[in-house]
Amino acid sequence: MPNNKTFSKNIWNQQQKIAPYLFIAPFYILFIVFMGYPLLSSLIMSFYEMRGFQSKIYVGFSNFVDLFNDPIFWKSAWNTTYFALGTLTLQLPIALLLALILNSKYVKGKNILRLAFFTPVLVAGVFVAIIFNLIYDQRAGIINNEYILLGKEIGWLNDAKYVMPAVILTGVWQWAGFNMIYFIAGLQGIRQDLYEAAAVDGANWWQAFVHVTLPSLRPVIAFVVVVSMIGSFQLFDLPFILTNGGEPADAGSTIVMYLYKNGFQFMRLGYAATIGWVLFIIIAIISIAQLKLLGIFREE
Amino acid sequence: MAISFDSDSFPIGKAPIAMLILFVVSSIFLVASLKKKDESLEFWIFAPTHYDEYQARLPLFNQLYPDVNVELINFGDTMHEKLLTALLSNFGAPDIVEVEITSIGRFLKGAIDEIGFLDLRPLLENEGWMDDLVPNRFTPWSYNGKIYGIPHDLHPVVLLYRDDLFKAVGVDLTEISTWDEFIIAAKKATRDTDGDGDTDRYAIVLDNKTESDYFNFLLQRGGGFFDENGNVIIDSEIAIDTLNFYSSLFNEHKIATPVYGTWHGHPSNFAAMQDDNILSILAPDWYVGILKSQVPQMAGKWKAIPMPAWEEGGRRTTTRGGTMIGITKQCKNPDLAWKLIEFTYFNREGLANRFETTMIIPPIRSALDVPVFHEPDEYLGGQRIGKLFIDLVPDIPPRYQNPYWSEASDLLNDAIFKVVTENKSPRKELTELATTVRNIISKDQTRWGTEEIK
Repeated sequence: MPNNKTFSKNIWNQQQKIAPYLFIAPFYILFIVFMGYPLLSSLIMSFYEMRGFQSKIYVGFSNFVDLFNDPIFWKSAWNTTYFALGTLTLQLPIALLLALILNSKYVKGKNILRLAFFTPVLVAGVFVAIIFNLIYDQRAGIINNEYILLGKEIGWLNDAKYVMPAVILTGVWQWAGFNMIYFIAGLQGIRQDLYEAAAVDGANWWQAFVHVTLPSLRPVIAFVVVVSMIGSFQLFDLPFILTNGGEPADAGSTIVMYLYKNGFQFMRLGYAATIGWVLFIIIAIISIAQLKLLGIFREE
Repeated sequence: MAISFDSDSFPIGKAPIAMLILFVVSSIFLVASLKKKDESLEFWIFAPTHYDEYQARLPLFNQLYPDVNVELINFGDTMHEKLLTALLSNFGAPDIVEVEITSIGRFLKGAIDEIGFLDLRPLLENEGWMDDLVPNRFTPWSYNGKIYGIPHDLHPVVLLYRDDLFKAVGVDLTEISTWDEFIIAAKKATRDTDGDGDTDRYAIVLDNKTESDYFNFLLQRGGGFFDENGNVIIDSEIAIDTLNFYSSLFNEHKIATPVYGTWHGHPSNFAAMQDDNILSILAPDWYVGILKSQVPQMAGKWKAIPMPAWEEGGRRTTTRGGTMIGITKQCKNPDLAWKLIEFTYFNREGLANRFETTMIIPPIRSALDVPVFHEPDEYLGGQRIGKLFIDLVPDIPPRYQNPYWSEASDLLNDAIFKVVTENKSPRKELTELATTVRNIISKDQTRWGTEEIK
């Protein structure tokens, strides 16, 4: 029988082994409760259909099959892709251009300008949407006021074909300055001797940009593109408020808006979970493809 | 020998002990604050005007029930989602809640015993209120014979119009009684005021993106999306003909302009009114209240007539919008909750106060003689608007509720937009819409059986 001294020593030793795990436990407990469990539970839910507050029934892959035959889902998926493409072709080049301008030694008041372009991201999406709702207004909006001079009155939020362009332009206003900051950081990390070497080789500014700046920015571009794409596919609050829930005729609906509608308005939680997991798969595929294309997995 | 305890070496110093103590103390505090007194009521609200009204009158309730602690919470537009979450998780719902008419449908999904509200029919019958409330106003809050909410309002609709601008073209709208007559008058008043070739002034403003105004016309004709037995009737001849008519107001007669902004209460819609570009609007009582508070500078410019009828002698009103008050199944003291409902919904002084701030007429027949309802209104040039609303009460059509209303109205919005702006056929759109909604319902019936889903 162990005496008291060895007993207490044992406890002491045991405790020292367990203690580290106890100290990191809060994170894991919170992660399991707020991330792990909901993720697992939503995955299970996507194979059920729920109706009302308690009833659920196992439906196998039926939700997935329904989703692929659902025209409004496809419309929302197209709108979301449209926004993502707009981000890729309009917002990011503008952000890069701003970064180049505001990193140039010839520009005065750079810090003020950087702050000014960065500020929109500090405004909550809901407020941005409310402000732009007034800006895009068909009769009284500032944008159309210019057009009234030209004799045009565009229904930015009333005409189905202008709704997504309006959302994209708002996205540019809100996010271009934010991405600009990443590009500026990337530009400042490029070694000056590369430009000097290019100059010695007789490169003009365009050749220096294509052969020095862009390749050196590759990791930053990869990061910004991937994060922007993920953000674009998760788009919700901006079009939700701007288009009053996707009007007109779902022209402003995105995947997450359709998920919300099914889950909270139609009470079809199983179907909403399915949309969530399909969205996850879409984002995963696009992100991996982009990282591959941009050569991030390549061994240097 | 006792286990030696050295605070400095307890696993890694004093800080963890301090954290542990803080954790324990704050946990005790949290648990203690969660435990409520029995004599308390939590009441969730989505409409700021309602919140202001109840908050102002709460001291009077506390005089009657000094031991009861009433907590009013205004969650605004997000309230319905919060309520859904609380009912789904069976935790955290309020005792009493107000629910909006286009939101209640989704709360009625599932088996009857899963619905999160108490059936108030027994209380209404026991307390003698059943016969005093306007029967058609129970329809939005009833399902399968149970009443889940007390109606807050009647919301009869009138035609609010610019008497000065109609008279300027020689039209006295008080002399018209049908929509056909209105169209003739409206064509005279609709015009291009600045001579640029485009119409600026329209006789009526209507929503072409949501079901709101189309439903005004449809209910007026006795139609609807669902009938009282839950059948889809949106492809009925009445519904198709009404949508045809609705589209013609924009496209054939060119007397209607789509609503400016997202809805009739949008700032740019008010701006268009002030620019004399909108000459009339279908207005429920609450909308008159909004106009008074948002565009007080237009006082004296508006007048009201009953809605024009579809045929001579036909129904001259419809109903738009609505709120109910209900008791959730998580309520621990339904009798006490009922006392608060009586105080907020049935008290004559309270109802007079409500009318003065929101223009809302109550659905209680014995209260329709409250003097303030019958007084002249300066905003409408001295017209007795409250009396006009009350005169229309017997004609208010029923609006049947259905668990599939959210899906149905979402698709109906799309159909209306396509018909009005893309010249799609009303018959084709409404027939397809009806088929889609019937398919959704029949799929659920196959899964869960027909008894629970009607």
